[in-house]
Amino acid sequence: MKKLLTAIAAATAATVALTGCAAGSSSSPSSPASSPAGSASSAAAQNITLWLAGGDTPDALRTYLKDTYKAKTGGTLTIEEQSWGDLVTKLTAALPDANNTPDVVEVGNTQSPTFTNVGAFSDVSDLYAELGGDKLLQSFVEVGKVDGKNYTLPYYFGSRYMFYRKDIYKAAGVEVPKTLDEFNAAVKTIAAKNPKSIKDFSGFFIGGQDWRNGISWIFANGGDLAKSENGSWTSTLSDPNSIKGLTQLQEIQKDASRAPKTAKDQSPWLYINDSDVVKDDAKDPNKVTGKTSLAAATIMAPGWAHWSIGDLVKKDGKEVREWNTDKFGVFALPGNDGKPAPVFAGGSNIGISAASKNQEGSRELLKIIFSPEYQQMLGKNGLGPANSDYTSSLGDDEFAKALIESASNSKLTPAAPGWAGVEASGKLEEFFAKIADGGDVAALAAEYDAILTPMLNQK
Amino acid sequence: MPATSSAPAAARATAGPRRFRPAPYLLLIPSVAVLLFALGYPLYWQILTSLQKFGLAQQFGKPPTFVGLDNYRQLFSDPQTWAVVGRSIAFCLTNAIITVILGVLIALLMNAVGKVIRLVLQISMLLAWAMPVIAVMTVWIWVFDWRRGLVNWLLTNLGLDFTNHNWLEQPLSFYFVATVIVVWMSVPFVAFSIYAGLTQISEEIMEAAALDGAGSVQRFFAIIVPMIRPVLMIVGLLQVIWDLRVFAQIRMLQDAGAPTASTDLLGTYIYRLGVGSSDFAMASALSIFVLLLTLVLSFFYVVHLMKEDS
Amino acid sequence: MSQATIRRRFRPGRALLSAVAILVAMGWAFPVYWMLNSALLPNSVLTSTTPRFWPAGGSLDNFTAVLNQGSFLPALGMSAAITVTTVAVCLLFAFLAALAISRFKFRGRTSFVLAVLFIQMLPAEGLFIAQYKMMSTLNLLNSVIGVSIIYIAAVVPFTIWMLRGFVAGVPADLEEAAMVDGCSRTQAFFRITFPLLAPGLVASGVYAFLQAWNEFTVALVILQKDEYRTLPLWLRGFVQASATRETDWGQVMAASTLVAVPVIIFFLIVQGRLTSGLVAGAVKG
Repeated sequence: MKKLLTAIAAATAATVALTGCAAGSSSSPSSPASSPAGSASSAAAQNITLWLAGGDTPDALRTYLKDTYKAKTGGTLTIEEQSWGDLVTKLTAALPDANNTPDVVEVGNTQSPTFTNVGAFSDVSDLYAELGGDKLLQSFVEVGKVDGKNYTLPYYFGSRYMFYRKDIYKAAGVEVPKTLDEFNAAVKTIAAKNPKSIKDFSGFFIGGQDWRNGISWIFANGGDLAKSENGSWTSTLSDPNSIKGLTQLQEIQKDASRAPKTAKDQSPWLYINDSDVVKDDAKDPNKVTGKTSLAAATIMAPGWAHWSIGDLVKKDGKEVREWNTDKFGVFALPGNDGKPAPVFAGGSNIGISAASKNQEGSRELLKIIFSPEYQQMLGKNGLGPANSDYTSSLGDDEFAKALIESASNSKLTPAAPGWAGVEASGKLEEFFAKIADGGDVAALAAEYDAILTPMLNQK
Repeated sequence: MPATSSAPAAARATAGPRRFRPAPYLLLIPSVAVLLFALGYPLYWQILTSLQKFGLAQQFGKPPTFVGLDNYRQLFSDPQTWAVVGRSIAFCLTNAIITVILGVLIALLMNAVGKVIRLVLQISMLLAWAMPVIAVMTVWIWVFDWRRGLVNWLLTNLGLDFTNHNWLEQPLSFYFVATVIVVWMSVPFVAFSIYAGLTQISEEIMEAAALDGAGSVQRFFAIIVPMIRPVLMIVGLLQVIWDLRVFAQIRMLQDAGAPTASTDLLGTYIYRLGVGSSDFAMASALSIFVLLLTLVLSFFYVVHLMKEDS
Repeated sequence: MSQATIRRRFRPGRALLSAVAILVAMGWAFPVYWMLNSALLPNSVLTSTTPRFWPAGGSLDNFTAVLNQGSFLPALGMSAAITVTTVAVCLLFAFLAALAISRFKFRGRTSFVLAVLFIQMLPAEGLFIAQYKMMSTLNLLNSVIGVSIIYIAAVVPFTIWMLRGFVAGVPADLEEAAMVDGCSRTQAFFRITFPLLAPGLVASGVYAFLQAWNEFTVALVILQKDEYRTLPLWLRGFVQASATRETDWGQVMAASTLVAVPVIIFFLIVQGRLTSGLVAGAVKG
């Protein structure tokens, strides 16, 4: 009901704006477009709050947002960082609360449908074209849409690609794979040959519960997690293409990965770094005082993982990882059709809280975020810009190439209202762990389809 | 002896002309007020919500529909609920029993050793007690880490091959780790309380018992246990209440990489239903159920308490 | 009291018992030591598969790095304010209530005792939305008072239970004797009873202190703004903020140590009173 009202209010407001009628008082005071675009400076300087999730947005970008917002509107922008783990809890409590809601919030792209479907965000359809329109990453735009209206828009994307050890691939006599089948075979060969004779060595390290990487195999074989028909969602793990992908994944789990069956997608880069020795004995600089062990030839991780991969070097007295192109390489997971495999697209969306009293200021902030300057700043910091015109700002190093390539065909989880509930229930982890454990794929898929379908539709 | 004091004192206080005395009620006002203020509305909300259909849409303003006991019906017909309840009761009783036994043993130890060693033991208990739970979990998760954990390293060096053994993978070994942590955190409180009780046992009684030729085991069960029974009961009850709702430890262990669905206990399950699935109605219904369950588990204690009080 | 005598009863194998006690003490304190040890070591040593048992080659770098982030002191201030408020108010309220139930016989006494017990059993995980709504309506979000009220309500029941034993343990005869000497009832109470209760107040205070200092879920929801974070939130932010980079375990351990240190200092200050406090009162359940 409330959603309907919001929609009507927004529609009225849009009409008002279109006809150039500036009498904002004719529509409800909180309606998003009550004053015509462009006259923002006349709107009283609004002090607004932006919630960013996690530490992904670098400090320089935060400063830029604050300064630009101040310059454009005279208001103060406060940025508060929420940790990913607690984001949903805090959004659930604060977003409906008009007196304390943050004005603009970043949400994980997969969390977006859950909140947009209950009317947590303001309709920004009228701004859509101005903010980039069809140039914006469409898969992210989709998860921010309800009934054809835009509520959240893409903030940045990051895609998952492969990091591998050149030296080990070489020692095992394996080339960088060009198709998915080649990849599946290559990592098994490496695990079998185990050129460095390391105990529990993985050709490809993928945790049993790691569904975020695991679903790439479903996607790459033409399968999907769920489909929507006449507004109702059905889980499609039993789809023949999904089964095919899951079977391949199971073989990888059996023959190529020695990751624990309960491992998720946290810090996989630990396993690809070299068997460093720690030498910090004060008296004898050559004495080995500790060892870290290499455990995998390939991992799949979001692009920023490369900061944590490399040789251990001392810089300014601190030990940091330094990428070494002789030893490490990256490639996008290939598909069987010559294109990159569709992998799970990481990243987030951004939207204006429907309960916010500062709609004007919030819309100004969105304009700053989707401005060419800011989009390019995102790219320069390795975050995929929402607007495809600025993808080139990512640069042309190997990471940028792998990111752009893997993102070109990336996919999102279903935009179902109950998706966040599915994620939170832990059922996907459970399902993938059972697959990894060698269970009967078809039977498990049918079992979990029956569990997931009602959850997908739960509002 | 303090154990007998309250009744006569109370009797004396009420002696004199029989009239309404406002004093005790005045004294209770602040506590009652703060409890009503902080818990009254939330409890009312919880009961009400458990009788409604209340999800994220309702949280964002959609009017909830009243569904009577439907949530409870659905909750109790879900085998997952009973699995969680069963696991929680088992976990709670195991932990409470181990904690109390260890607490008693350590209290006896404190009582039996010299002053200096007792102080060392007490300080080490205090250190453990003082650690913030997040710090505790970070350290312990690390000690049990499958790749770099101290436990695996030690066992491997003792000749058992525990290289890359993942302690959190199987529910049983997950609960073992959780038990180690929960017990480690809870024992200091129990040990101090019991030790306090031990020091109040009068020496005449112990001497008399020794003269009668009672051995130390006999003395323990025949004299010490009855004397410290009130403390034993209250710490036991508190452990049951606390361990049944154990939340932070389980959640952080799950975050560290454990199969969530098969390791959920009541605390994390309520949280998952509420925050995770945005099904606040079911979460509320389960909370109310946990409240009743705790009452059942502590029934005997409550009966005993009422008898003692009247 | 009678410790000395009981101790003599267990004389056989006293040396053995002492050895066991030392071992238990070491075992129990080990995780604390491990935290401190790790806080002093660089990350490369910590991520190695060979544990290092003493901080050789260690430094205070992790501590410096953590403190240089600047958010520690505000969080410390916030935690201190909330904890002090909770402990002080809780002790006062609980003491008054304990006085009522152990010194007076009145209608509703049993119901009150039972209600207090009952409240102990409420699971907190389902309450946070209602608590948020309430605090928002009352404009108490992001405030010391808002969080303190919830903490006080969470701690008061147990504190009443604990203090009830202490109050009952102070013989009323003492007060009456003082009253015969010409003191008023109030004077008698403050001159005679109150000092005897001090250990009990310390013991309950420690409990309240720990709860308020370490609480995390309520704080997460009620304290939304960065500048109002308490230490547990700060510490958690620390563990999670590093999610996009290799977690700096050394810094996490240093941060954990910083959170624990104030509690340990507080404990060492009240240690003597704490043990005697528990000695004097806890027996009466």
